[in-house]
Amino acid sequence: MATADANAETDWSPSRLAFVWVVFRKQLVLLVRYPLNTATRFLTLAALFGIIFFGGQAVAGPTITDSLGGIIVGLFIWTLAIVAFSQLAWDVTREAQWGTLERLFLSPHGFGTVMVTKTVVNVLMSFLWAFALLVVMMAVSGEWLSVDPLTVLPLGVLTVASISGVGFLFAGLALLYKRIENVFQLVQWAFVALIAAPVGANPLLKLLPVSHGSYLLRRAMDDGVRLWEFAPSELAILVATSVAYLFAGYYCLYRAQRRARQNGVLGQY
Amino acid sequence: MHQQTAQSKQAQQDDTQPDTASQASEPTGETVISVDGLQKQYGTGEDAVRAVDDISFEIPRGTIVGLLGPNGAGKTSTIKSMLGLVVPDAGTVSICGVDVDGDSARAHSHVGAMLEGDRNVYWRLTVRENLEYFAGLGGERASDVRERHDELLERLGLLDWADTPVNELSKGMKQKVSLASTLARDVDVIFLDEPTLGLDVEASQELHAELRRLAEQDDVTIVLTSHNLDIIEAVSDRVIILNDGSVIADDDTAALVDLFETQSYRFVVEGRPAADLQSRLTTAFDVTCQPDGDQTVIECVDADSETVYALMEQFSDAGLELADVESVEPDLEEVFLRVIDDQRPGGEQ
Repeated sequence: MATADANAETDWSPSRLAFVWVVFRKQLVLLVRYPLNTATRFLTLAALFGIIFFGGQAVAGPTITDSLGGIIVGLFIWTLAIVAFSQLAWDVTREAQWGTLERLFLSPHGFGTVMVTKTVVNVLMSFLWAFALLVVMMAVSGEWLSVDPLTVLPLGVLTVASISGVGFLFAGLALLYKRIENVFQLVQWAFVALIAAPVGANPLLKLLPVSHGSYLLRRAMDDGVRLWEFAPSELAILVATSVAYLFAGYYCLYRAQRRARQNGVLGQY
Repeated sequence: MHQQTAQSKQAQQDDTQPDTASQASEPTGETVISVDGLQKQYGTGEDAVRAVDDISFEIPRGTIVGLLGPNGAGKTSTIKSMLGLVVPDAGTVSICGVDVDGDSARAHSHVGAMLEGDRNVYWRLTVRENLEYFAGLGGERASDVRERHDELLERLGLLDWADTPVNELSKGMKQKVSLASTLARDVDVIFLDEPTLGLDVEASQELHAELRRLAEQDDVTIVLTSHNLDIIEAVSDRVIILNDGSVIADDDTAALVDLFETQSYRFVVEGRPAADLQSRLTTAFDVTCQPDGDQTVIECVDADSETVYALMEQFSDAGLELADVESVEPDLEEVFLRVIDDQRPGGEQ
């Protein structure tokens, strides 16, 4: 038993790597085990691009190509956003439905670590989805953007960090108020507005989640600006807003789970 | 007796009898679960519901404790408060010496819990994937627990379904998977809320055997709730009965049954006693009369031989033919009902 030897027990600590692995493997197994579901999900995102691209060509003719780079980057970021957000916020709701949420809380890693670990895996999965879609979009449109990993990955991670903060916030609200799936859907569409926010014209918009990261990613991928070519102040704002949203969201989740436990509604749906 | 003793009329009446229960239930090993002054109230003002009302007890290692109580008695709130899933208003809970509120993660390293029956596993994963997931959630690598999982699946009759997605299994099998996932890693304490719900008789007996094996061989401490009192009686070393959030009885299972084991008799007479006779018998001997086909079953508790003869004389005088008479052994269900009944307004406290 874990405490058969008291001294051994004191030294025992749960392997975080083991947990990261099972969370990642679970996501992967479900993607592979239900290929139709995975394909449908991917095709829905690809179809959205198809509608914008081919529909835009039909309506606006060749002028659509002027903004094609922005559209591709925008959809790339939106994919990152909705995968990262939905994996977090919807996940809490589904875990409550399945009766597994309380088991996550009972992990020796602690609920916070469990949620952070799931978030890290979600971010990784969101990148896999977004890059797969990016390749399809560039191949279909023939518009090959600059995808410098040293630039796109750090900017992408920071952008997704603020989305994860929003995800934590809504996961916390789901713990307290339960059936708020319709709000999740609204938030997913709100990301479109945040991604397209005219940050260049109005610097205050840089303080919104996603917006500044989206602006810098557009410049990096569409204009070929490298990470070290951005003004340090621009990067500092991105780091500050991303970290602030991430921690604020996490704090909200922490308070919400505490309140949910006080009200005795943690595992309810 | 444990910290809170049975508050039954028998307990009060039997003060002069040797307290065999207290000797039998005295913790012999290390205390694994300690609950002290636990309180939980939901809501405020007129809507306030006191779900847990100043509960205290200790459970030694390797003990199986059945938590009983009618619906709304506070069983689930008590278990969830013990696990930290509900934040108590007052009181402390420690598991393996670790304060659950102070260091929940470390306390949880000792604990497995099955709280939602067959629901609390991932139905789209296979049986083995679930076990590996929950072992990983507990911080154990799949490679380290593979052998343990094989043994567990074998014991629970799940080995042939190890690679089957859970959603393809029957309800009873899902329930077993849920239990298996609770035991997927090495724990000292397991909490089982209604573990036999949906299980057939055979599966219930397998579960019963597995729980006894866990307690006796692996020294696992088990806290379980169930509406199936037969399982509680068969499995539990000790029973805690809750009502309105309070502990109203806490004793060894056998001692609790013994406590209520008075000389009870069941008489079966042909026909129906007249109403005035029934009234006389009820007043004088505190009997209950139940029609059963052409016969009437008359039950009398607290009956000594004098009472039995007096009753038989009454039957004879009334011309009632006695078809059968037997002494009645109480089971846990009867004990439970009596304890709960005593707590009701108008019942004997």
